[in-house]
Amino acid sequence: MNHTLNITANNEASVVERLLQVTRYRGYQLAGLELTPMAEKAGLSITLTVSSDKPIHLLTSQLHKLYDVRDLQLASADIAALRA
Amino acid sequence: MNGAELVLKVLQQHGVDTIFGYPGGAIMPIYDAIYASPVKHYLCRHEQGGAFSAIGYARSSGKVGVCLATSGPGATNLITSLADAMLDSVPLVAITGQVSQAVMGTDAFQEIDVLGLSLSVTKHSFMVRSADELAATLNEAFAIARSGRPGPVLVDIPKDVQLAAAAEPDNAATPQSRALNTSLAQSAQARQLIAKANKPMAYIGGGVHMAGAMPQLQDFLAQCLMPSVTTLKGMGSVAKDNPYYLGMLGMHGTQAANIAVQQCDLLICLGARFDDRVTGNLKKFAPNAKVIHVDIDPAEINKVRFAEVSFLGDMRQILPAIASSTDCSDWLAHCSNLKQQHGWRYDHPGERIYAPLMLKQLSERMPDNSVVCCDVGQHQMWVAQHMRFSHPRNHLSSGGLGTMGFGLPAAIGAKLARPQDTVIAVSGDGSFMMNVQELGTIKRFRLPVKIVIIDNQRLGMVKQWQQLFFNERYSETDLSDNPDFVALAAAFAIPGHSITRKDEVESALEAMFTWPGPYLLHVRIDEKDNVWPLVPPGAANEDMIMETN
Repeated sequence: MNHTLNITANNEASVVERLLQVTRYRGYQLAGLELTPMAEKAGLSITLTVSSDKPIHLLTSQLHKLYDVRDLQLASADIAALRA
Repeated sequence: MNGAELVLKVLQQHGVDTIFGYPGGAIMPIYDAIYASPVKHYLCRHEQGGAFSAIGYARSSGKVGVCLATSGPGATNLITSLADAMLDSVPLVAITGQVSQAVMGTDAFQEIDVLGLSLSVTKHSFMVRSADELAATLNEAFAIARSGRPGPVLVDIPKDVQLAAAAEPDNAATPQSRALNTSLAQSAQARQLIAKANKPMAYIGGGVHMAGAMPQLQDFLAQCLMPSVTTLKGMGSVAKDNPYYLGMLGMHGTQAANIAVQQCDLLICLGARFDDRVTGNLKKFAPNAKVIHVDIDPAEINKVRFAEVSFLGDMRQILPAIASSTDCSDWLAHCSNLKQQHGWRYDHPGERIYAPLMLKQLSERMPDNSVVCCDVGQHQMWVAQHMRFSHPRNHLSSGGLGTMGFGLPAAIGAKLARPQDTVIAVSGDGSFMMNVQELGTIKRFRLPVKIVIIDNQRLGMVKQWQQLFFNERYSETDLSDNPDFVALAAAFAIPGHSITRKDEVESALEAMFTWPGPYLLHVRIDEKDNVWPLVPPGAANEDMIMETN
């Protein structure tokens, strides 16, 4: 199942590596990645799409702990599926 | 002031007076600043040993440990220790020198991407690009290391940043860190579960003492009156005189603890994480129990075991909020019977030393508040089973990573953190050789660390598994050509003694404890002695293998 995460992160050189390292280590397959630098010092807007049969909370709880992750939201379609 | 001097200044502002490390090219400016600094640097003989000493310092004292290494091999030698600190939630700040920014990315001499290497073994890591960022970055590193679930933080500082002019740092301002909210919304539900449980059980991990919640835990256990078990890292959390404490659970846990946890109908997990060495077969672990899980790390809730009720935040607030009186006298009596029925036995035929009995004697003889630092293997489990601790900070064991070579350098750090307390490194003949070079550190600083080597001339735990699960094919576990450990210690001006018989133990312990300086006691045991009970891989915790002879 695919899940889409909308992440706001500090625009630090290593932040994407950190997200991808945690995603791989926790057993989720990368299915899509988009990066958009926000206004100066406002950070990075990241859309991360992952695929796995595992519950998505096992990944979001780990990503949310990363120091450079300021905000993390599941895309609305995911939330609707969780509530269904 | 340059960047290097600023680093030392900021360390002082954080109350750091003891650091561990090893110099090298890319960190020479910081070592030059150390030369004139009141911060005391302890030269270790390998960066891994230095970082383990910092971990021992941190775990025995509750302070943040600090270690230094140069770029390249200095930094890569830190990796195992960072991983150890990560898995055991130890607050550590590791500072590495890096080649100058002008040559970074060119495969310069002793250049390696330590930031990249650190990603999976640190809570966070920083590369400092300018001396202007140094103070704020170090402040943040300390805040991250000690906040929430503690962990290691790496700060990589290029040589040009160390040499650059820097402004005097402000007094260490408390940096912004993520606020810790403690929600007690489900406390009524938790109290109800506890009050209605017929067979409640407290499962206590290292998170309780790290939260400073030892008094609240004793109150909780007194008010709720229920049996308790601990993990390896939680040992010493429950008062020694608590009659319903059943010991450590898990692969080498006590029979009483494992049987009772399997039978309980409510498991209250306090600062623990359902590690596989604790649960055995997860699907069969405490199969009839509802779970209340209290932790500071949101990622641990529902990670491997669903919790009916969970709490995140400050254990000191949560424990009194969920305390409720219980009505389970039959269960308490049953658990007391299990404890009586399955107590340890120390009768052992023959003259040869039986390690469990020797460690029990060591435990009874060591002064109160002694710190015992273990290595990894059979002796580590025997220490956990047969020694008693009054506080988890008195039992330093590499739990999560299971790192051989941890014990000796950790003991160095513990002795420097708590010079008034006796510090004992209990090691195996395999583990001891992993960081044996730290005898040089003990010699240099004349640290009165007591070293006990339990020697079966084998990699005993691997050998035990080969015996049980690999058809007695003893592949590469024979260490019968071990060095003469007493002579080895003598080469570092550390006196020692070797014993082989039970009747030598008491006088040997007496000699070790009365000697004022460092001392090595070499204890030769039978390689046939194994660690029991053992929950085989894939089995439920009630299916323990017991000694057969």
